Amino acid sequence: MLVSPLADRLIWQEWDDIYIVYQPAAAATHVFNETTVLILKCLQQGPLSMEVLRHQTEAALGVSQDELAANDFEFATTRLEELGLVEFVDDPSTAQ
Amino acid sequence: MAKPASENRRAQRLLFEALQAPEKLPALPPADWELLLRVARRNRLLGRLQSDLEQANLLGQIPPRAAAHLRASHNVIAHRQTLISWEVNRLLWALKGIDVPLILLKGTGYLLAGLPPARGRIFADLDLLVPEDRLGEIEERLVERGWFKTDIDPYDDRYYRVWMHEIPPLRHRERGTEIDIHHRLLPKTSHLKSDPAPLFAAARPLADPRLRVLAPADMVLHALVHLFLEGDPDEGLRLRDLVDVHDLLCHHGQEPGFWAGLALRARELGFQRPLFYGLHHAQRLFGTPIPPEVLRGLADAAPAWPIRGLMDRLIHLALLPEHPDYPSRLAALARWLIYVRAHWLRMPPGLLARHLSRKAWLRFRGFRKRIDLAQLDLKQQ
Amino acid sequence: MIVGDLSRRELADRLAGEGLALQFGPFNLRIRSNLGSFASLAHQLYEPYPLPEPAAISDFHVDISAPRGLRRWLRRQACFGIDGQLPFAPYTIEHAFPALEWGINWCVATRAHHLLLLHSAAVERNGRAIVFPASPGDGKSTLCTALIHSGWRLLSDEFGIVRPEDGMLLPIPRLIPLKNQSIEVIRKFRPEAIIGPSFLETRKGTVAHVRPPVESIRRAQEPARPRWLVFPRWVAGAPFTLEAMPKSQAFLSVATNAFNYEVLDEIAFRLVTEMVRSCDAYSLVYSDLDDAVNALDKLSQASDG
Repeated sequence: MLVSPLADRLIWQEWDDIYIVYQPAAAATHVFNETTVLILKCLQQGPLSMEVLRHQTEAALGVSQDELAANDFEFATTRLEELGLVEFVDDPSTAQ
Repeated sequence: MAKPASENRRAQRLLFEALQAPEKLPALPPADWELLLRVARRNRLLGRLQSDLEQANLLGQIPPRAAAHLRASHNVIAHRQTLISWEVNRLLWALKGIDVPLILLKGTGYLLAGLPPARGRIFADLDLLVPEDRLGEIEERLVERGWFKTDIDPYDDRYYRVWMHEIPPLRHRERGTEIDIHHRLLPKTSHLKSDPAPLFAAARPLADPRLRVLAPADMVLHALVHLFLEGDPDEGLRLRDLVDVHDLLCHHGQEPGFWAGLALRARELGFQRPLFYGLHHAQRLFGTPIPPEVLRGLADAAPAWPIRGLMDRLIHLALLPEHPDYPSRLAALARWLIYVRAHWLRMPPGLLARHLSRKAWLRFRGFRKRIDLAQLDLKQQ
Repeated sequence: MIVGDLSRRELADRLAGEGLALQFGPFNLRIRSNLGSFASLAHQLYEPYPLPEPAAISDFHVDISAPRGLRRWLRRQACFGIDGQLPFAPYTIEHAFPALEWGINWCVATRAHHLLLLHSAAVERNGRAIVFPASPGDGKSTLCTALIHSGWRLLSDEFGIVRPEDGMLLPIPRLIPLKNQSIEVIRKFRPEAIIGPSFLETRKGTVAHVRPPVESIRRAQEPARPRWLVFPRWVAGAPFTLEAMPKSQAFLSVATNAFNYEVLDEIAFRLVTEMVRSCDAYSLVYSDLDDAVNALDKLSQASDG
């Protein structure tokens, strides 16, 4: 399973480590913490597997590997999927 | 009596002239603009005027106050259209893996297929037509993915499921847009037959192959069924809905074979009478270009005299816009009669009496549609 | 020409006939009424308000009248109408005036979507404005009334109207409806304030309307640049505090309290973001109006210096 960015245009405003993100396609304003924003930023280069995405997010946050609780991480990605900001797709390399 | 009649004629003339010749609007005197804005708002056509003027690049040449009202209406419409498109996007996401055709009806279809009636048009809900035997699966999946069944009382729920052509609306817990899922175009109780199978067979795919819209003739017929049978006792026949029909006829009328097939299809689906009325009144009010042989071919779909004359008069009265300061009792009566007739066609008499009396009772208890917002803070509206 | 240029009789004739055309900031209204009691109050409280040019387009046609037909004889009522529609249940006839005032706000809030409508009071001095975003029961009207009787100009009590083209605040200096104990507080604070009669037992308790100073009404077509966002809270007996507020919190409070933030999509996001960026945001807790007025005066003077 890969997490893939759904790169419709987003508008960002950062204040005091809080990110206000406007998603024009949905006419929605979101409030994200740093972790959630870093997940989205890690995906800017393209789809990643859950595992790799988690490690990259941890590196970007400056915490050690596996410090992000798997539950929290899964919650954040599921939430991003529900909001239409990322998509879960089948990994073509493991599809066979 | 003379002033109300002449003022009503003035209101009608202003609206029809604005729709037919928007290029003349920059010359309109302020007093006429004022009345036009009021009448267009009441008939949900402000957005249409905005869009006409924008296309003609004339928005800068009308009084700024009029332009402000049109801008306001445009902003609301753009917002609603974004929400509807997004709801379709989320619907496709939620139904991933379920292979079922989703026919987008009415405004949702016009919008996603980029058809002319979507221009300057506000759409309240997302309307879908799906095969009846797949309803359960779709509803279940949507509920799993964050939608809920809107809160309705058990009578209404039963009324919907047993008699109607749709299930109670679903709404996402974080978004306001309602999804109306239909499995046929008219209630099962309707005097007009409405087998949905031919509609699925003829539907046309959009860019995403799961999404369809009705074939051109079916789309016109559905717009007419909606106009004549889904009215409202206060609003009467919505002129806005006849504008949709006019737009669809002008647009699809260009397609080879459309006119030849329209009446045939109407007979096949049992909608020849709404088609007869619709073509007749669209031509009368908007000058819709309809080939004479199509009208002649439908002559036998008209009711006999004197019913035909009476219906003609009622429909015309119920469609015409009114001056907001001079409401006509005759037009109000026409709107009510048309509403009762629509319900009559949709339901057998016993059920109609039960339904209307239930509605009257609800009103008596105070469950009126017109909610008193005065006790709420302004903000909470 | 202003309402005061009309005699009581002329005003009543207009109200009962083609309607009284009035200008409230960006909006032209046409008001009809067949109630004599309404005409007297309108003559008194609307006195300094301008009449639009005769040929100007009226934006809203509103009506506050006794209903026709049988009901009229059963109970004396007043109905608020807009363009011939009656969106609300009837009011008792004694509450006709507050009902119309409230109804006009409702028209603006539900129709003026060409502008961003914040739910806030706003005052101006030396070209710079303080915006007071509302939250229920915070006493923004009381503070706003105190300020406009202490050298500030009223922009608005209910709507922070932001012009999308440039983010400027458009004044709409309407009457300020004070509620319950605020009425006495203001009578004591500024005895010279012009306050209309108290309407008892309205849907919002006792209400009395303050007529803004003539200067504010005269300058109703002069926009102002927002400079401060102040979130006031009145707490009985509390010591005065004025503290900087995090911008993210200011953004959320402004956006979630606006009347049409959702409707204006990206325009609204950009306007609110820009306002929060360019304003200093504070939360203000007070129990004494003098403390609050002095502190806000200092804020303004510091910025002048």
